[in-house]
Amino acid sequence: MFDNLRRLFAALSPSSRADEEVRPDGGVVSEESARQPDSGSDPGPVGRVTEALNSRFGSDFTESSVFWLLPFLLMALFVYGAIIWNLLISLTDYRGFANAPDYSNLDFEMYARALGDPGFIDAAINTFVLLIGFTGVTLVVGLVLAILIDRGIRFENSFRTIYLLPMSLSFVVTAQFWLWMYNYNNGIVNSVIGVFGLGPVSWLGNQAVVLPAIIFALMWQFSGYAMVVYLAGLRAIPSEHYEAAKVDGASTMKMYWRVIIPQLKGATISAAVVLMVFAMKAFDFLYSLVGGYRPPNGADILATKMVREAYANLNWAYGSAIAIVLFAMALSVIGPYLVYEYRRDNL
Amino acid sequence: MSDTESRTDGDAAVTARIRQNLEQTTVEDVGLYVVLLVMAAFYLVPIESGLVTSFKTGTAVIETAPFAPPGPSGFTLAKWQAAVDALLRGMGNSLLYAVPATVISAVVGSLMAYGLTIPNWKQAYKAPLLAIIIAGIFIPYQAVLVPLTQFWSQWVELTSLLSFVWALGIPNDYAGIIELIVTHVAYGIPMCTLLFRTYYTNLSEEMIESARLDGASLRRVYRRIVLPLSGPMFAVVLIYQFTQIWNDLLFTLVLVATESSPAAPVVLILAGLGSSLEGQDFALRMAGAFLAALPTLAVYIFFGDEFAEGVAA
Amino acid sequence: MATLELDSVTKVFQDGNDEIVAVDDVSASVDDGEFLVVVGPSGCGKSTMLRMIAGLESITSGTLSLADRVINDVKSQDRNIAMVFQSYALYPHMSVRENMSFGLEESTDIPDDEIQQMVSETGELLGISELLDRKPSELSGGQQQRVALGRAIVRDPEVFLMDEPLSNLDAKLRAQMRTELQRLQDDLGVTTIYVTHDQTEAMTMGDRIAILNDGRLQQISTPLECYHKPANKFVAGFLGEPSMNFFDVTLQDGVLRGDSFEYPISSDVQANLGDTTDLVLGIRPEDIELVESASGDHDFETVVDVIEPMGDENTVYLQFDPDAGEDAETLIASTDGFTRVPEGDEVIAQIPEDAIHIFDRATGDALHNRSLDDAETIDLE
Repeated sequence: MFDNLRRLFAALSPSSRADEEVRPDGGVVSEESARQPDSGSDPGPVGRVTEALNSRFGSDFTESSVFWLLPFLLMALFVYGAIIWNLLISLTDYRGFANAPDYSNLDFEMYARALGDPGFIDAAINTFVLLIGFTGVTLVVGLVLAILIDRGIRFENSFRTIYLLPMSLSFVVTAQFWLWMYNYNNGIVNSVIGVFGLGPVSWLGNQAVVLPAIIFALMWQFSGYAMVVYLAGLRAIPSEHYEAAKVDGASTMKMYWRVIIPQLKGATISAAVVLMVFAMKAFDFLYSLVGGYRPPNGADILATKMVREAYANLNWAYGSAIAIVLFAMALSVIGPYLVYEYRRDNL
Repeated sequence: MSDTESRTDGDAAVTARIRQNLEQTTVEDVGLYVVLLVMAAFYLVPIESGLVTSFKTGTAVIETAPFAPPGPSGFTLAKWQAAVDALLRGMGNSLLYAVPATVISAVVGSLMAYGLTIPNWKQAYKAPLLAIIIAGIFIPYQAVLVPLTQFWSQWVELTSLLSFVWALGIPNDYAGIIELIVTHVAYGIPMCTLLFRTYYTNLSEEMIESARLDGASLRRVYRRIVLPLSGPMFAVVLIYQFTQIWNDLLFTLVLVATESSPAAPVVLILAGLGSSLEGQDFALRMAGAFLAALPTLAVYIFFGDEFAEGVAA
Repeated sequence: MATLELDSVTKVFQDGNDEIVAVDDVSASVDDGEFLVVVGPSGCGKSTMLRMIAGLESITSGTLSLADRVINDVKSQDRNIAMVFQSYALYPHMSVRENMSFGLEESTDIPDDEIQQMVSETGELLGISELLDRKPSELSGGQQQRVALGRAIVRDPEVFLMDEPLSNLDAKLRAQMRTELQRLQDDLGVTTIYVTHDQTEAMTMGDRIAILNDGRLQQISTPLECYHKPANKFVAGFLGEPSMNFFDVTLQDGVLRGDSFEYPISSDVQANLGDTTDLVLGIRPEDIELVESASGDHDFETVVDVIEPMGDENTVYLQFDPDAGEDAETLIASTDGFTRVPEGDEVIAQIPEDAIHIFDRATGDALHNRSLDDAETIDLE
């Protein structure tokens, strides 16, 4: 990649400068012109552009662009180019087996259709419930685990490894496990509540409980992640704070509630953002649960509805419109987070 | 350097706390360990139950408790045999795109993070660029699916562009594998860049300046100073990326489409495994789930610390 | 040859909408083979100046030239300048040998075996031959310092830049390295710019010292000239420990009138002052004599407030008027360690006229410096 670029630069430079050394930085600096910069020698168009860019952006700008420009363009095309394109498609009426959307007639019909579609409203509400419920429950469980592990226990590493284990599994795999856990006749969940004389419950068949059941399963998978983030936050708190609280006569509960947890704000925010993103990607889990595009009744979320509308029903434009709504939801979480990080100089 | 220092500090604090605990073992401590063990059981039971079930015959699945091991009469390897038959092809396909995509995105992420961290250009321009890149981590992929389909089916038609490859007798479904590599690299770049960037900002600034003064160009600084020092971070990023790509279903679903395709990745086959008109064969499903999870489980067990570091970043 | 020239070099940092002038219009010329020590309080811009010479900071205005070639826009890597950092900045993954050969490999076309030869020779010169195959993490602080030095020396650059290279060493090793560095620089004859905040290093090491304050060059001259003939009040106060005594005085009829005393000056001294009447009188502690009885109008009655015995000398805090309490003007004097002066005693402080400095109170400029007539042994040039 570098060699090609160097050759490109060399080719673009005026041929009269062929005797000059081509620097590895891609710029052309002759000994002569470097010695007498004011002699009026023309650095060539490439040199001039390089100079102008460097003086605008900083001395290493052009030399460093070799490292990041191409990957950045690839990423920008696939992420931001695609989102803009998606927005455009959502304004068309593209559906069915046509090869490409017809961009000549753009309107907001698909968004109007979404607002009139009870399935969409349900999915939006479910997405919201999943987002809040899953994030909240997972953070609490993760925090408790982190505090327990941070109390100087033995076998700390083993416990941590076990708690984080589900995180290494794919949604597709954990969906199989929980399908079996929630099985009506032989599932462990029903055996456990049977001990208390409850159930059996059709966890995935009953609209009233299916969403909490899914939140519970997702919590199982990701609470280890929240724990790891909180653990890092706890480790950053100097042990003097624990000792000071103890000296001040605070009980253990009070100490955590009033001294330690308030200091975990940063950890909470970053963990919450990532968990919400996981929740929006819960598509894989729901798809694998049923092995198809239609999740259990009462558990349809925007992510699954979008894919179903586009790829099962071939309502491409409608799917795109739902995707834009989902993207807006994500943006409302991520935007403030990035601004927060930027303000704290973390970028 | 500073990393190890803080870790030893942490260890000292922890040992102090352990000592404190040993001196006064109380009911409270016993309670603590009981809670920890119950939680460990909570995380392990679904996995354990899946594992024992995968070795059970159809009758044993119904007759024995879901977490109990199969008796000698209920034990069978038939389900594993079936799972291997069904998934082995998919696992090969998954490796075919997961490995190159992982390696490429790690290398690209390292290069990009270097270009955006170490060279001397204005922070006022670097910061927004970084914000754009980092925001890319959090994009719900649904927002790019339809254009992605359009891109690969209408704009860059690998099935026709690479016709000379298919002429060699390779099924043209494998175009999907190449599409998956490019796609995963493109969407993996933000996370890889972020991970490497965090690492590179902690490198000694004076050391880099020293290398520049020693006459090394940016390229040489990367090659001779930064890259050799990136080893630990490469481990973290490779593990993270591999787990992500291996586990992803959405892109395979959209780009490869059918589980019957010769190029179908393992997740795609697994999602539909063991369900038929007669009902669900849970033993087969569990065996398949374990088989599919095997590479990521192995990575997790052998490189647990790097995995934890990757997800915590 | 490698004469380094700074012409009106200025560095302005942008901090939001604020502009911070770190280096303000500094002009200086460093001769080939010269050892220049740049000294000043922290935040005075000395490190920024060094980093501009290294090419690690851009130059806002002015020109920097090396051997008559303007190098403002030449990148660090092409300047043929070596720098020793405070943290040493060794490459942790390379052995000492690799650390030292890195610069030659990157900046020259010298074949590998010659590079190895040069590294070995430099290693011998610095007495680190047996360390060549170790990694930096296996070395002590002093050894790392030598490697950092060796890495710079082996390149035989046109200019050495050193940014407080000794400040991480303990006091004893620092004194030893100070001498050794001087000897090395003498032998190698490479133009060297050495930044420090330590005035002992400044006074003892440099051919000349440049004193910076608030980004401005205050004086650039030999150490003794800066000490005895300071250009202004800042330089006078910065060099010397304990530092020079200053008193605000007003000139009236040939007499400097202060709050606590009156000091008559001769017409020779007065001739240097021009029309300025708002002045500052300066006297170094070691120039004050403590005597038994007043014998002239440059002798003042004082009371010993505090005495700090340092062993070889005593630092004596004297008060002109002990009844004034907190506001009493204090005079600091250094006496030799065997003089016993009990606290609370009255003593006569003699301020000899040939040792006084007089500064313009408004500008701080030195109007009159001490005479050196009786100091034949001092060679200011």
